[in-house]
Amino acid sequence: MIALVIAGATIRRTRRDRTGLFFMIVLPVLIIVVIGSTVQGGDRFPIGVVDQGSGEFGAALVEDLEGSDSLDVRRFDDLEALKLAVRRSELAAGVVVPRGLDEQVRAGGSVAVGFLTQPSNTAGLAAREAVESIVADHSALLTAASFAADEAGGTVTDHLDQAQAATAGVAPLTVDTTVSGESRFLPLGFTYSAATVLVLFVFINAVAGGGVIVENRRLGLYERMLAAPVTPRAIVAGETFTYVLIALLQSLLVVAVGGLLFEVDWGDPLAAMALVLIWSAVGASAGLLAGTVLRTAEQAGAIGPIVGIALGMLGGCMWPLEIVPPVMQTIGHLVPHGWAVDSWIELLSRDGTIGDIAGRLVVLGGFAAVLGSLATFRLRRQLTA
Amino acid sequence: MTSDGSAALSCRDLVRRFGERVAVDHVSFDVAAGETYGLLGPNGAGKSTTIKLVCGLLARQGGTVVVAGQPIDERTVDAKASIGYVPQDIALYPDLTAAENLRFFGSLYRLGSKDLGRRVDDVLELIGLADRAGDRVDSFSGGMKRRLNIGAALLHRPALLVLDEPTVGVDPQSRHAILENVAELGDSGMAVLYTTHYMEEAQRLCDRVGIIDHGRLVAEGTHRELVSLVHEEDRIALGATGDLESLRSVLSALDGVTGATTADSTVHVLARDARRLLPRVLEAADAAGADVTSVEVVEPDLEAVFLHLTGSALRE
Amino acid sequence: MRAVLLIAAKDLRQRFRDRSAIIVGFAAPLLISFLMSAAFGGAEDLHATIAFVDEDGGELGSALEEVLSIPELEEVLTVETRDRADAAARVDDGDLDAALVVPAGFTTAVIAGEGAELEVLAGVDAPLSAAITRAVAEGFLTQVRANRVAVATAIDAGAPVTDIAALAERAAATAPATALEDQPLGGRELDLISYYAPGMAIFFLLYAIGFTAKSYFTEQREGTLDRMAAAPLRPSAILAGKALSVLVYGTTSLTTVAVVTSLAFGAEWGPAGAVAAIVLAMVLAVVALTALVIAVSRTERQADGLASIVTFTLALLGGNFVFVATAPEAMRRAALLTPNGWALRGFTDLATGSAASSAVVPVLSILVFAAITAAAAAVTGRGLVTR
Repeated sequence: MIALVIAGATIRRTRRDRTGLFFMIVLPVLIIVVIGSTVQGGDRFPIGVVDQGSGEFGAALVEDLEGSDSLDVRRFDDLEALKLAVRRSELAAGVVVPRGLDEQVRAGGSVAVGFLTQPSNTAGLAAREAVESIVADHSALLTAASFAADEAGGTVTDHLDQAQAATAGVAPLTVDTTVSGESRFLPLGFTYSAATVLVLFVFINAVAGGGVIVENRRLGLYERMLAAPVTPRAIVAGETFTYVLIALLQSLLVVAVGGLLFEVDWGDPLAAMALVLIWSAVGASAGLLAGTVLRTAEQAGAIGPIVGIALGMLGGCMWPLEIVPPVMQTIGHLVPHGWAVDSWIELLSRDGTIGDIAGRLVVLGGFAAVLGSLATFRLRRQLTA
Repeated sequence: MTSDGSAALSCRDLVRRFGERVAVDHVSFDVAAGETYGLLGPNGAGKSTTIKLVCGLLARQGGTVVVAGQPIDERTVDAKASIGYVPQDIALYPDLTAAENLRFFGSLYRLGSKDLGRRVDDVLELIGLADRAGDRVDSFSGGMKRRLNIGAALLHRPALLVLDEPTVGVDPQSRHAILENVAELGDSGMAVLYTTHYMEEAQRLCDRVGIIDHGRLVAEGTHRELVSLVHEEDRIALGATGDLESLRSVLSALDGVTGATTADSTVHVLARDARRLLPRVLEAADAAGADVTSVEVVEPDLEAVFLHLTGSALRE
Repeated sequence: MRAVLLIAAKDLRQRFRDRSAIIVGFAAPLLISFLMSAAFGGAEDLHATIAFVDEDGGELGSALEEVLSIPELEEVLTVETRDRADAAARVDDGDLDAALVVPAGFTTAVIAGEGAELEVLAGVDAPLSAAITRAVAEGFLTQVRANRVAVATAIDAGAPVTDIAALAERAAATAPATALEDQPLGGRELDLISYYAPGMAIFFLLYAIGFTAKSYFTEQREGTLDRMAAAPLRPSAILAGKALSVLVYGTTSLTTVAVVTSLAFGAEWGPAGAVAAIVLAMVLAVVALTALVIAVSRTERQADGLASIVTFTLALLGGNFVFVATAPEAMRRAALLTPNGWALRGFTDLATGSAASSAVVPVLSILVFAAITAAAAAVTGRGLVTR
């Protein structure tokens, strides 16, 4: 069919364009790697510790902190450097073991161990829990030994071993946590970035790819095609098919990279495929529309990323819509990205199946239909004008 | 304008290589003040390269260029102010207006703002675009762009105007206009260096022509001088009825006629100066009783000269 | 030189007439910043609503309830009393952030010196509330545990066991040897917009590399480059003029975004002098990068492609898209190989309250990058205008 021939030509041109390939293949993979490695699963919280000259008790506390499974401890020599690192968010929190801790404790006093974190840093809050418990355990030992010294005579050091034994002998008192409920967020880590990269980049590249249509128009290629026994309908069909195919291929690339390299679980296969297909259609129709609306290929290259990033932000690709004010959440659903991210949340965080996202798929289909009709209408008008 | 009568342009031994290929091979020529000099040669002969060497757009690998008494080289750029350069392609900013284009290029030639303003108006008037001064160049027709292309080189009243094949790919009407313009400028006293591969243009416009081929200047001089170099003669072709043979012998005996032949129903008369001889030839034919039906005077042209000198055609 | 200024002025006139340049350099970063501030502008303080379920009814349960209602926790915690089933259902639905349960027999077990457990029911999307609740519970249990250990140690050490109750009371009254205390960090907290306003502004500034590089080749193709070269000016003036135009455009763009986002969206860039220094250094780096792209490319398309690749790779590595501070060491080091990575670090430090002098190292690093890039451009450039 003629449409396929036209599609083939456009695809061949796209393949030869090395920059286009960079944007379609290299960049999304690069972004997944960068974002994924940044948004860590939160296994260990990075904290900094500065020991200002505390003595052996203080040193023991630092060692206890280093031994924790949930903390990744970096030692600092200087308090200001520690504060700077916390302010930069390179560390979740900082711990300051003050000078003279040993002497104070031996004298029976109470010492404050400093905790530094940014007030709304969530990692800091979580780190505090871990640090608090270690400090508390360490403190309990010293307190017990000190108390024993008061009651029975002797020094703190004398009674440390007994305090250790007592700690081991005391029956455990613990907190047991059960997590329940259905999450409204995407799982963190690679899964988060892979799904949102898929939504974001397929769209951006499709819109930027609209530049090819603009180029074709400018070069008079369509005129030449129309001089041959080719109908406008065939041209439109051909270009539409091209765009959907390219968007689909790119989606599959992201799915493959995510799944194979980073063990992303894309959820129920049928539902995932349907979502990928429909999102490719949305991206393709946006690209087609861009191709008919923009005047130069340059504009497409500039506008594509901007519109894509803006819509992505509105729709929840950069941060979850859960955390923004309600009015922004509503706006987020005026753009197709919001619905796509919602669907991925359903599939990846709540083990949804195709039935669960059916309604949203219909809405996405609606977006594709509206954008697509507008695009084909304009393209035909431009071809036959 | 040079006031002491020295050459507007003087080139000696210009050399330029591109890798192994020698594009300009020791080319030397002068353009006198007020003279229109044409560089004639086929595509690839080295015309554009020579021009670029003259204007300082390409680095010279040998030779000197002196414009209006001042040498041009990388360190002394002042002499460039005496040259007005019209490139082969339309070298204008499509997203700026005609006036903005002129003002920008004019300002590079160090015209003061008041002088510049006046000159811009004058030039727009001259090239007939005064009413389109505020329109963007990308809204102009091809012909208008060509005119502006030339106009931009005139702002600073250069002593030497250099045009690089200005009529290639141009429609006949615009071409005519361009040639008229250049002729006018030449008549007004400007020295003009003009490159082309169209023989008619060289013949029509130029006082002297330099024939260039494969980077070498193979001959130069006025039209007459070049033609005489190859001893080509004018030819008068008389279409006649009657006794052609006797007509032939009568004409061949005329003073100034170097030979006569017959072919079909035409008598071909070879002569040194056909124009001056023509009345006498017609008189003689009449006296001999021949009935002349057509007259054609064929003067040898530069195409013939070129063919003779280089062995190849001026145009493919 | 005059010619340099004239050429720069002409370039700028063309640039500002081109709508995409205005959009990319000014409208886009402002739009993105606006979106961010709309999304995060109303900074909500952390507040958790939890349920307290006392199935025990003993004195430890009451003691825990008292702990939950201390004034220091009022800001962060709202506590409702419910029964287990009700609390569990609400947590599941997301109506409650968490629930703290004291199971039956808790007090008895503790007093008898046996093991015991408190329960926290946490909502899946409220990890912070769970953390706070757990922290309160743990803190409580720690105190109980510590008292036990103190008493046992004292006894072990040979203290008289005549009045254990009194001993226990004295143990409870002893202040802990060390306690964790929140101390001031100094400076300001880094909010999202103060990071991303410069981040996005610089990302869109990098686009200027492509615009200028392409325009150079366009001029070459159209012949206006030759026409300029034919005029009485040094060949270097043409490149200098283009460099100047990038300088002006870039500085204007960044400064406008800095001013607007500060005034309208509350972004904190830092003290004006230090910000200006970083802005200028960053723009110089962009000039150098533009020169390198021009020097290395042969055609307009090559220049366009190379510029795009450079733009996105630098932006990605430098942290313009993602908050690179929380990334692993390797990524943070990679960010400092880029000029924009240094610029963002400089802006972050200034925004979080570091002194203006903290801009010195970033500025110098960016200038070093610019110098190396410019040198590379000069080496590969080989006579860009007169060939």
